[in-house]
Amino acid sequence: MTAAIDIQGVRKTFGTTVALDGLDLRVPVGEVHGFLGPNGSGKSTTIRILLGLLRADAGHLSLLGGDPWSEAPTLHRRLAYVPGDVDLWPNLTGGEAIDLLGRARGGIDPARRDELIERFELDPTKKGRSYSKGNRQKVALVAALASDAELLLLDEPTSGLDPLMERQFTEVIRAGHREGQTVLLSSHILSEVEALCDHVSIIKAGKVVETGTLADLRHLTRTQVSAELRYAVPADLRSLPGVHDLVVEGHKLACQVDDSGMTPLLARLAEVGVVSLVSSPPTLEELFLRHYDTETP
Amino acid sequence: MAGAMTLEGLPLLAKLAVRRNWLFWTIWIFVLWLTTVATVAAYERVVPPGANVQVTMAALGGNPTMRAMLGPPFDLLTAGGFTMWRVGTFVAAAAAAMAALGVIRATRAEEEDGRIEMLRAGAIGRHAPLAAAISVASAACLLLAVLIAVAMAKTAPPAFGALVTGLGIGLVAFVFVGVGAVAAQLSESARAARGVALGALGTAYLVRAVADGSSESSPLRSLNWLSPLDWAALARPYAGERLWVLALPLLLGLVLIRVAFVLEDRRDHGAGVRSSRPGPATAAAGLSSARGLAMRLQRGTLIGWTVGIVVFGLALGSLSDSFGTMLQDTPDLAEMFKRMGGGAQVMRDAFYTAMIGILVVVLAMLGVSLLGRLRREEEVGHAEALLATSISRKEFALSYLVPAVVAPTVLCAVAGGLLAVTEALGGGGAGVVVEMAGAALAMTPGIWLVVGLAMMLHGWAPRWVGLGWAVVGWSLFVVWIGEILNLPSWLLKLTPFAGLPRLPVDSMNWTPVLVETVVAVALMVIGVVGYRRRDIG
Repeated sequence: MTAAIDIQGVRKTFGTTVALDGLDLRVPVGEVHGFLGPNGSGKSTTIRILLGLLRADAGHLSLLGGDPWSEAPTLHRRLAYVPGDVDLWPNLTGGEAIDLLGRARGGIDPARRDELIERFELDPTKKGRSYSKGNRQKVALVAALASDAELLLLDEPTSGLDPLMERQFTEVIRAGHREGQTVLLSSHILSEVEALCDHVSIIKAGKVVETGTLADLRHLTRTQVSAELRYAVPADLRSLPGVHDLVVEGHKLACQVDDSGMTPLLARLAEVGVVSLVSSPPTLEELFLRHYDTETP
Repeated sequence: MAGAMTLEGLPLLAKLAVRRNWLFWTIWIFVLWLTTVATVAAYERVVPPGANVQVTMAALGGNPTMRAMLGPPFDLLTAGGFTMWRVGTFVAAAAAAMAALGVIRATRAEEEDGRIEMLRAGAIGRHAPLAAAISVASAACLLLAVLIAVAMAKTAPPAFGALVTGLGIGLVAFVFVGVGAVAAQLSESARAARGVALGALGTAYLVRAVADGSSESSPLRSLNWLSPLDWAALARPYAGERLWVLALPLLLGLVLIRVAFVLEDRRDHGAGVRSSRPGPATAAAGLSSARGLAMRLQRGTLIGWTVGIVVFGLALGSLSDSFGTMLQDTPDLAEMFKRMGGGAQVMRDAFYTAMIGILVVVLAMLGVSLLGRLRREEEVGHAEALLATSISRKEFALSYLVPAVVAPTVLCAVAGGLLAVTEALGGGGAGVVVEMAGAALAMTPGIWLVVGLAMMLHGWAPRWVGLGWAVVGWSLFVVWIGEILNLPSWLLKLTPFAGLPRLPVDSMNWTPVLVETVVAVALMVIGVVGYRRRDIG
């Protein structure tokens, strides 16, 4: 598969601050790729470099097969961008801003635009200065999603949206994915990334520290198991291989289990007799915490 | 209206207003004070003892160009009276701009950015932010008045004249505290509020220029009582003070402040007096490119400036009508101009040259302001949104650079031509209009040079784009008062306009015109190249 985005060893410094420190990121065509990291980790800098707004100090970059710095206007006909903090022209209406941004990209489909305006319940006749944060975000989303772009660069696109609108957003992105659209979705909202992305990269201090499918990454973490047993919890559970952080309270237990430890644990529990058992897969929160909480190994 | 509750938190907000804007006030007050003091010091040199003072002064004070620019002269034979005439009205007008801008900056601008909302969520009364801004601005006007009065009492006695000078300037500025406060209530945007306040200031200046520039027998002469900017001079410091005149600015300022509070009572937070109406749901066909957007954003500014410049040209041009009458009225003046070898012709040429000299500097402000939008669009993130589309950086930069060059150039030629319309209608023939349009165009390379410098900064050192304003400010200073201060001549020539031929007094000289044009174009090209190479946002 060819890559829509291919970044290798990109560095960017602002004065003495190192924003990107040898970042690698590859997004194949047709993939919805989650780009996770906390504030200030370099997500927006990466996207701005991909847009040709900032110039990388070092490293190799390719966007839709071209050079994002020197071919920016041409490449931009094929992509759409939503910033996380949208500021609109105070004296232009939302509808005018949508049309302007759409036309500047090379054309906008009026039917699709109207459908999206309805879907996101946006009033396009209000002036930019009178929109709330969520509504400003909707203006940028409609402008981007109404295009037939091959690639969407979304920088925390749902900030300020209510949960209903977030769901509309998820549905539109899924529909685009089915039609082969490539998406780079930068976020710190993990549920959003879990709902949409098949591949995830985690960025920390300007470097990608983990990348792969959600399944790959889950493989690296432990499943949370909690159970209620018929009798007292046997003492030998603690010595089973792959069982960690066991907490016992009468007939109840909770623990973290490696993938390899699942079978022996379940076998031992079945011998004692199980009243109820809940096993939950690791969430991105836990993946995230593993990389950002320095206390946890 | 303003009950005690609505002013809750006033001291806190006043402290905040001082904390946030102390530099703004300090620079303005210092520059205005220095201008006044330096003029007093220059008096001895400008008017050497023993020369035929009466005749020189009568010629100066009777010259309609000077009167239109500076205000009515009363007694030019003392350092104080001379200073009041030479810079008093100018300082009053600048202090008025300071006052209005200062109030808007602490009220509407803060409200538009949403910061006042956070404060008002605390135990802060509805009128407290406005009252705090008015208090601080009024205190600044008073401080300026005291500083000027004290300095002049020492260097240009008697003290009473100094007091009236200081008070006059401070109170004229106080009127514009009220103007700024009212303007801040009218519209939702600080930009529009500044436009209204500075428009009012410009109108007041124009009214007094036409009134003061008219011949003594003209009925227009007494119109100067209508312009608050002339009230400081009409109080006649050093020339038989009329302290009662200063009740006019005090009363008008208080009335305007009262109006501002009433208006603030009748509007919602964040809104103007008229609530904003819904606009079109789709964009007009023209709004589809960087150029279309730039034109749309700058439309209001361009219309306002065009109207202002047309009025400026026609109104000041009408003064040329009175040169003949003026010379009959003042035999001393006629005698002096005859000796200089030209009579009314010399006076006429000097008039056009002086007016065009001011005009080009003012229009350079328009150029820098139009181009300045390029930076503001970047700061708020709009540039990022547009450059993420197929708009190239060059296109984006040019959408602001081209109007910044074209609009001042066209307006310059138009205004130059309009200055001569009165003379043309009075029998001068259409050729005069063309001649003066050409005279104005001969000065435009100076505007291009300023815009070129600003573009270069936009491309390579965006944090320093304010330097463009510094050049314009310096040029204005030189045009107005530079020559009477004992500054080295190289410093006075250090403006983009000083080297250009000043038609019709000078004859045409192509060398500086071409050199400045080439340098300006080069700076623009370098600027655009830099803009294409640097990081955005």
